[in-house]
Amino acid sequence: MKLAGNDMLIQSLVNEGVEYIFGYPGGAALHIYDAIFNQNELQHILVRHEQGATHAADGYARATGKPGVVLVTSGPGATNAITGIATAFMDSIPMVVISGQVASHLIGTDAFQETDMIGISRPIVKHSFTVESAEKIPQIIKEAFYIATSGRPGPVVIDIPKDTTAPDKLFDFNPPESVEIRSYNPPIEPDPKQIERAVIEILKAKKPVIYAGGGAINSNASEELFELNQLLNFPVTNTLMGLGVYPAKDERFMGMLGMHGTYQSNMAMHNADLIIAIGARFDDRITNTPDLFAPNAKIIHFDVDQSSVSKIIEANIAVFGQVKNSLIELIKQLKDKTDLINGDLIKPWLEEINKWTELHGLNHELYKENSDTNMILPQAVIQHVYNITEGKAFVTSDVGQHQMFAAQYYHFDKPRYWINSGGLGTMGFGLPSAMGVKLAYPEEEVVCITGEGSIQMCIQELSTCTQYNLPVKIININNEALGMVKQWQDMNYGGRHSESTYKSSLPNFVELVESYGHVGFKIEKNSELKTTLEKAFSIKDKLVFIDIYVDPGEHVYPMLVAPNGSLKDMWLSKDKKV
Amino acid sequence: MMQRKILVILENKPGALVRIVGLFHQRGYNIESLHVDPVSDIENYKDIEDLLNLKLKENEVSKLLITTTVSDNLLRQILRQINKLIDVLIAKEEI
Repeated sequence: MKLAGNDMLIQSLVNEGVEYIFGYPGGAALHIYDAIFNQNELQHILVRHEQGATHAADGYARATGKPGVVLVTSGPGATNAITGIATAFMDSIPMVVISGQVASHLIGTDAFQETDMIGISRPIVKHSFTVESAEKIPQIIKEAFYIATSGRPGPVVIDIPKDTTAPDKLFDFNPPESVEIRSYNPPIEPDPKQIERAVIEILKAKKPVIYAGGGAINSNASEELFELNQLLNFPVTNTLMGLGVYPAKDERFMGMLGMHGTYQSNMAMHNADLIIAIGARFDDRITNTPDLFAPNAKIIHFDVDQSSVSKIIEANIAVFGQVKNSLIELIKQLKDKTDLINGDLIKPWLEEINKWTELHGLNHELYKENSDTNMILPQAVIQHVYNITEGKAFVTSDVGQHQMFAAQYYHFDKPRYWINSGGLGTMGFGLPSAMGVKLAYPEEEVVCITGEGSIQMCIQELSTCTQYNLPVKIININNEALGMVKQWQDMNYGGRHSESTYKSSLPNFVELVESYGHVGFKIEKNSELKTTLEKAFSIKDKLVFIDIYVDPGEHVYPMLVAPNGSLKDMWLSKDKKV
Repeated sequence: MMQRKILVILENKPGALVRIVGLFHQRGYNIESLHVDPVSDIENYKDIEDLLNLKLKENEVSKLLITTTVSDNLLRQILRQINKLIDVLIAKEEI
């Protein structure tokens, strides 16, 4: 079969099983867009800003586990995509970004809409390719998808000069069946000897904690993790990125850990004698001051990425490999030794954790008592959304207080249902990522929990939702301020709210969304909260935006004391520190 | 902290070198000297061939020598990060 470069590109994407491309056309990408017009195997989703394209592809990837695909033009199209690429990179999300480039003979001449996309994106991609000639397109696409999805996943950029997609030059189209890159061999199977060493530590631990993160989700290791803990009955905590990988409803689940983690999770980590890290990277939001982190704990670290191990916290035992495969081997070895698993050894530890939970565990009543106003509490909003959706919705979030409230109060029992920008902390992520999830799972409830600050960073995508009829629910936790910034200013800057409020300049969100053809509700009173939310969620065929005015003085607690604090140093309320 | 020599064997293609140099810059490691050559004397790289279990062809890969002053822990971290780069066949300390 003979095809032009643009058709080879699209056909190669189809061969990779791509259903959706999220993108925005422009000069350097026009040959490719013409090829899209001439086929009906994959659907292009026209966003309103390239950042939205990357986040939508990202949301699709997080929910499905399949790579998200983005197509943008050169210059501003490419640079607008950067924030979304960095977001995916920080959270290890598989993504392939195809950026148009000016024609080969113009590169380096400061041509119209020319920018060095490979150079600009280099620090925030797993790998990148420049297409030097059209013949190489099928091979490069194959390699790009392989790299994006294998090992520790991540975004791959393919910069494609306009001449290599010209429709008038035909080439033999012989796409490779599979690909091997001799310099890239990510570990898959663990070293059984390392697992043997891990088993010895596991069997003698008195104060163990399982600490699982996003890597366990990327490796689809949720079932193995649960099976492992049927044997061990160890307390489990998840990172912000790992929520859902272990069922929140399980008795051993302690909630999230870290900066806004639960009291019991942080106390358990601090006092542990063994930490089993599974696809988690000891990020600074988790460790607080690294030198003060878990002083008595041995560390077993399971990860596919060698450079993540002993980067911040030295691991006593490192197990490199796909986390799923490593857990399968660990379960196998433990099953041979079930007679040596002594549940009594950890009984006092489990009781201690239960006491911590009773003492200062997340308890909404606590906030109610402390609240001296009758305003709606943001925590209550999340609890109502959780109840109404029966905990079964896909929840995307933006970044800030609402994100932490959602992570704390929406309990995830399954992986890939909690979709947020954990590493980069990208405001504007919530709405476009919800679009990607809704396209992947049109029959499922998709809720975007956002704030009036974050939503305005990608609010243009309301128009995309109209065009493709994407009936997501948007819960706008409106405190009329950049809540998390304000919280830090309250706590560390003497309450000086420098540039964190808008001085009555917010739009009427209900009228705004109605102008796009969506449905809007505004909730200001506690008494209306439940009934209006129920009404909003009963609407299935339209995007519904619920603008909820909450207590602007509310803070997220617990909160780690920083700087120079350890995991046991927390603010539990505005005036209570432990 | 002591001066180390790092040997990197990488694919001889555009963009491969700058990824390594960029990695040093992004992570705040200083490069004290850098030397890069295509590998033409394959016969001197038998040990690398054995280590990687492959046959190299003339000028197909480049040899990069970097000197930098770092601690043991940081050296291990640098080597792991360089080894993670897709175009790198191997990075190791040259003693």
